[in-house]
Amino acid sequence: MNIKKYLKDKLIDLIIILVTYIIILLILFVFKTPHNLIIAITFIYFIMNIMLVLINFFRKKKFYDEFLNNLNRLDKKYLILETITKPNFLEGELLYQSLYEIDKSMIENIKKIEKEVNDFKDYIEMWIHEVKIPISSLTLLCHNHKNILSKNYFAQVKKLDNYIDQVLYYVRSNYTEKDFSIRKISLDKIISEVLLKNKDDLLENSIDIEVNLDEKNIYSDQKWLIFIINQIINNSIKYKNNTKKSIIKIISKKCHDKVILSIYDNGIGIDKEDIPQVFKKSFTGNNGRDSIKSTGMGLYIANKLCEKLGHILEINSKKGEYTELIINFGSNNLYNLND
Amino acid sequence: MKKIMIVEDDKTISEELKNLLDNAGYESIILKDFKNSVNIVLESKADLVLLDINIPNFNGELLLKEIRKTSNVPVIMVTSKTNEIDEVLSISYGADDYITKPYNPTLLLLRIQNIFKRIERTSDCYFYQELEFYPTKGILKKEDQEVLLTKNEMIIFSYLLNNKGNIVTRDDLMTDLWNNEEYINDNALTVNISRLRNKLSELGYYEAIETRKGQGYILI
Repeated sequence: MNIKKYLKDKLIDLIIILVTYIIILLILFVFKTPHNLIIAITFIYFIMNIMLVLINFFRKKKFYDEFLNNLNRLDKKYLILETITKPNFLEGELLYQSLYEIDKSMIENIKKIEKEVNDFKDYIEMWIHEVKIPISSLTLLCHNHKNILSKNYFAQVKKLDNYIDQVLYYVRSNYTEKDFSIRKISLDKIISEVLLKNKDDLLENSIDIEVNLDEKNIYSDQKWLIFIINQIINNSIKYKNNTKKSIIKIISKKCHDKVILSIYDNGIGIDKEDIPQVFKKSFTGNNGRDSIKSTGMGLYIANKLCEKLGHILEINSKKGEYTELIINFGSNNLYNLND
Repeated sequence: MKKIMIVEDDKTISEELKNLLDNAGYESIILKDFKNSVNIVLESKADLVLLDINIPNFNGELLLKEIRKTSNVPVIMVTSKTNEIDEVLSISYGADDYITKPYNPTLLLLRIQNIFKRIERTSDCYFYQELEFYPTKGILKKEDQEVLLTKNEMIIFSYLLNNKGNIVTRDDLMTDLWNNEEYINDNALTVNISRLRNKLSELGYYEAIETRKGQGYILI
């Protein structure tokens, strides 16, 4: 707040002060007041008015400067009320009170929306557990009647399960602060579980598997990690190169006390300009548009989950040659303290 | 015959589970009265309990806690919840294994088999007619004649031996191999089976493994 702008704002006050002075001056002249007295009155009048203007200016300046300054520095602007002292003039008090009411109403609204989102998330989680029951029934039915049912039945049920998991983990990656527990787990069990899940697809597409886990102990959430790796393997199967013998190589190793897991396939690869976008929501790229049905959600969710778990997901690819997804688990030492 | 108790409130699942277990050579019973679940499970003298977490009246975890007060019967927890915390909790209550719905039925059978094997580890020697089979060493022995099996051949022979007289599908064998982190393809399985046949022939068992066309293999 500077004085120039303030005075400009108070222009009417200043004009009234000036006009009043002219009127007083005229009256004093008409009554033939001695000059000395006129000078004294003028002096007193202007001193008083300047003092009045300045006192008002500094009272407001103190409050508004603090207000604007804090507002600028604040990341969450709605917290402004917590940082300022209550003003001692009417306009300021009105502003302060209004802000308080506005904040309160906004917080109530956010609480309401938060509750709705949480209820929705709870409902989705519950629904998913419910829907897993008929899917289990179908899996068992397919197995028990496999001599009369085609293998396709089982494949379709598996697909259904996979899409449902995507919803579950989408909800988990977006709406939960902490829904996982990190502990020491063994990579070989996780890889085995994911590959077993996809066994039929891998065999049917005659994709060879090479697993070489030099470092097996990592710290992560088992269920989340299974989902993440499953999405990656699903993509490898989906985008295999039909012109050559397909292979998926899964390698883990220690790299400067960090553990990395690399999942490499010799599939159709990704266009160079698409690579920076593959983790974006609903991104399908040229591969998705070209032929194969793609939702563009798999890698987006996988990446989000990695972020939450504190892992780093990276991608390298060359069109027509390979795609490699790397999960960087970070340093084990960090967690050892809690063991 | 091993007796398995199924504690599951979904009718289709429990019936199909019974179907699956009966076909695999177990005797299975379905728990129907959930009000007296603790007593029924304990009185059934079951050799293993398949316990769903979401059952009426009593939560599966509480039931497990009650069972553990008096019995050491092996329990496999089954749940549709995909939550790490539930798993940790179940294991801490004394579950022997934990499996998430929907599960691969062959894998469930393998896990049941593993639990029984773990309990009955009296010797590491199994018999097939006059043959002695040492799975841990991978050795097939007839009198003083010995044949060494590779890991894959060992897994395949174990599976066939466990299901002796029943048809074993290629898919079952594949599942067991992949479960043991041997990610081989169809050709390799065929090669492994013919090598295993050759080794059995060396010991004088020429027609031990029969092929049932379109179905699988059977160890006579």
